[in-house]
Amino acid sequence: MSGSSSVEDLPDQCKDLFTQDGVLLKACLGRPITDLNSIGMLCIVENHDNSKSIEWRPNDLITIDSDTQDQEWAVVNTIGISMSYAKGRRQRTFSGNITADYATARARIIRIPLEELKTFRVTRNNQQMQFSTKPGVWQTTFYFQHGNAEIFVASLKNHVKTAKTRHDRNTYVVVEPNTESQVLNKSFAELDIFTENTTDVVWNLVSNFKQRPYETTMEAFSKLTDIVYYGNEGASGKRDVSEEVADLLTKSMNEIDEATTVTTLTRQSDEYEVVTVNPMLPPRPVIPRGTPLSTEKWEGLQDTEGRVTEVDGVRQLIFRGGIARSIRHLVWKYLLDYYPWHMTHAQLKTLHKKRTEEYFTMKLQWRSMTEAQESRFAEYRERKNLVEKDVNRTDRTHPYYAGENNPNLLVLQDILMTYVMYNFDLGYVQGMSDILAPLLLLMGNEVDSFWCFVGFMDKIASNFEMDQAGMKHQLLQLQQLLMFVSPELANHLVQKDSGNMFFSFRWLLVWFKREFSHRDIMRLWEVLWTGLPCANFHLLIGVAILDAEKDVFISKDYGFTEILKHVNDLSMCLDVDKILSNAEGIYHQLVSSPNLPDQIRVTLGLPTINISTSTHSEADNNKPSTSRGTENGYPRI
Amino acid sequence: MAKTYDYLFKLLLIGDSGVGKTSILFRFSEDAFNISFISTIGIDFKIRTIDLDGKKVKLQIWDTAGQERFRTITTAYYRGSMGIMLVYDVTNEKSFENIKNWIRNIEENASADVEKMILGNKCDLEAKRQVSKERGEQLAVEYQIKFIETSAKDSLNVESAFYTLARDIKAKMEKKQEASNPAGARSGGGHQLRANEQQRKPTSWLSRCSLL
Ligand SMILES: Nc1nc2c(ncn2[C@@H]2O[C@H](COP(=O)(O)OP(=O)(O)O)[C@@H](O)[C@H]2O)c(=O)[nH]1
Ligand SMILES: [Mg+2]
Repeated sequence: MSGSSSVEDLPDQCKDLFTQDGVLLKACLGRPITDLNSIGMLCIVENHDNSKSIEWRPNDLITIDSDTQDQEWAVVNTIGISMSYAKGRRQRTFSGNITADYATARARIIRIPLEELKTFRVTRNNQQMQFSTKPGVWQTTFYFQHGNAEIFVASLKNHVKTAKTRHDRNTYVVVEPNTESQVLNKSFAELDIFTENTTDVVWNLVSNFKQRPYETTMEAFSKLTDIVYYGNEGASGKRDVSEEVADLLTKSMNEIDEATTVTTLTRQSDEYEVVTVNPMLPPRPVIPRGTPLSTEKWEGLQDTEGRVTEVDGVRQLIFRGGIARSIRHLVWKYLLDYYPWHMTHAQLKTLHKKRTEEYFTMKLQWRSMTEAQESRFAEYRERKNLVEKDVNRTDRTHPYYAGENNPNLLVLQDILMTYVMYNFDLGYVQGMSDILAPLLLLMGNEVDSFWCFVGFMDKIASNFEMDQAGMKHQLLQLQQLLMFVSPELANHLVQKDSGNMFFSFRWLLVWFKREFSHRDIMRLWEVLWTGLPCANFHLLIGVAILDAEKDVFISKDYGFTEILKHVNDLSMCLDVDKILSNAEGIYHQLVSSPNLPDQIRVTLGLPTINISTSTHSEADNNKPSTSRGTENGYPRI
Repeated sequence: MAKTYDYLFKLLLIGDSGVGKTSILFRFSEDAFNISFISTIGIDFKIRTIDLDGKKVKLQIWDTAGQERFRTITTAYYRGSMGIMLVYDVTNEKSFENIKNWIRNIEENASADVEKMILGNKCDLEAKRQVSKERGEQLAVEYQIKFIETSAKDSLNVESAFYTLARDIKAKMEKKQEASNPAGARSGGGHQLRANEQQRKPTSWLSRCSLL
């Protein structure tokens, strides 16, 4: 397989010696979070200078590649099976017509020169592989979705000489090639990992060592933060960043392995009860927020005809910092699936015309209803009644909706009534007016607000459905997440009859609309609409809020009523940026937790692994406190 | 322990959306009315301590969202409530018809001996009235529940409605106390805090009540 056919003498050319499909990037120093968990191909390649590297390429790059007339790539991509060997040679030419897309995608390739590789190890049932070019730091972690890493390791051993360490049979130390020092002394900055978001670097450093006693870790972490934030700003007298980081991490890594405890499960009657839950969460990284997506940036991300070319980039920028006020009304249309990203200005104009007509057709349907008709149409009457009542008590303190006979209230009502015609089965449900109010306030336009509302409702329709299954499910997911992130608090809630999380019903129903000012809710919503960094991020917002109140709940021994009261009283007292930052930190803790249950993986849209074998069944996770399950109301929802 | 009350009663407001539950509660707890009140999502409660025959009674009044589909959540809070206000809107026929459904809902979810009361709210809106006072009274007789028309807006009968319900609960509790524990010793009365002064007087206030 690792055929060594000749390589033409072209710049930037390389040859795949071995390729493995279906490899997830689990962690990597200096990578934007969006890259994590993306799927790709892990390869051993030979470079034009005969040096060799391990390369991981995201699948979307492969797609792009196949577009640019490389047949074999296309084949590799479409096979989509566990493994494929590169047949002979494949040319990759980066010169020539490199599109912007291509360049960005190319930047996402991870390359580990074999000369620099120091150690690697295989864990998790042979499904996970980690690489290190520095003692004490596992810089990259890959997960082999299909099959396992055995063949890759075997192949790799053809190119490097390895020895197994004595204390750990899964860890391989590379003994050759080992051109030593110079390479290893390169600073992180030189290795070009600071070009991406610095915070990700911080995070990944941390995520690569398993948890140790909390305090020590946090101490180490704060040092790390200092180094990474300030260390690379060119303070010349300073030690090499990489060295310091490596030192810190090496110091902790060995102890950590021993410090980790495992979830103990004992069998009790028919069910498994979780006796000790030690989620082994790594410390929470502090992730600063970014600046809002500006007009200039936004325009720069479009082509001359108005197509948004960098959708992922846009989403990521919005996730990181939200959207500047000046373009918010425009960008929301995209985020809410009203405007497709790929449409030109001209196409959007046509679309807008079409949607406007559609809207007024639906509006006419109810507007033309006579009183007599209405009197024989109870269901319609009921909905109309509800809408009227709620419009009169929606955001009336905001100047836009304040005062008697405010015309904007009529627009609010018209949109909601038209939505009743658009989706009569769902009709009008309380909370919808809360969802619509900020949209209309921002757009100031009936048609646009309507279609944006439709887009938002598509995302959260299950919240409003008759059976409330969507809400119940989310409350349960929230509980499960909290049980993992903050078991102490989750257990406190359970003890106080609040395990059903009903106190957070309002949060989830209208996506925290009642908890924040208009300004802040706009920021929160646009971030949540990006769908980053994972599915159901809004639940992590909930976890972040609760986690911040943990000490209050526990130290004051809050009971059922106090918990509800306290949660309700948090309204308008929350700092949106802080919460977003904490929620993102929690996300990072979760994804790098070594024993994240499948159930949580599913909630967050992560691939399941089913790490645990026989004991860790569904049963124990569905009921985090089996022994008290019924009396705490889980079955009630 | 410095408890500032003798009894704690948990009350509940239920009824269709928009009948004025939140306004009634706001009137009672803050003595205010706000035409543009926000709709209730989920559940909330307010506290007011009143003086009843020399006893400090702390009322913890739970306010719920009215729309039917939220009932799973709201009924979870029925548990442990000692008194329930069933509210309809006299300008809305449907909300009156639904009182029967709400009563059924109580029977299914609240404890059997919960005290109930029917309120016909918005009686200030005479011009828009759809449900006559007589029909309200009739319904109350049918179900053997006390009834009163209220206006949260004009602050009419809101105060007396809560006092009445609270008195009924107190009377029932004291009666139970006496029956199960004639010696006056502390029993499992739950929310009773000073058992020794309990059995002072019979429930003569019933006669003073101007309600049906
Ligand atoms: N005229 C009048 N309006 C009322 C009265 N009580 C409530 N309302 C209005 O009815 C609407 C619904 O009231 P709200 O308390 O929110 O109802 P809830 O859904 O039952 O909590 C609001 O616009 C109130 O201003 C009342 O006694 N008289
Ligand atoms: Mg209400």
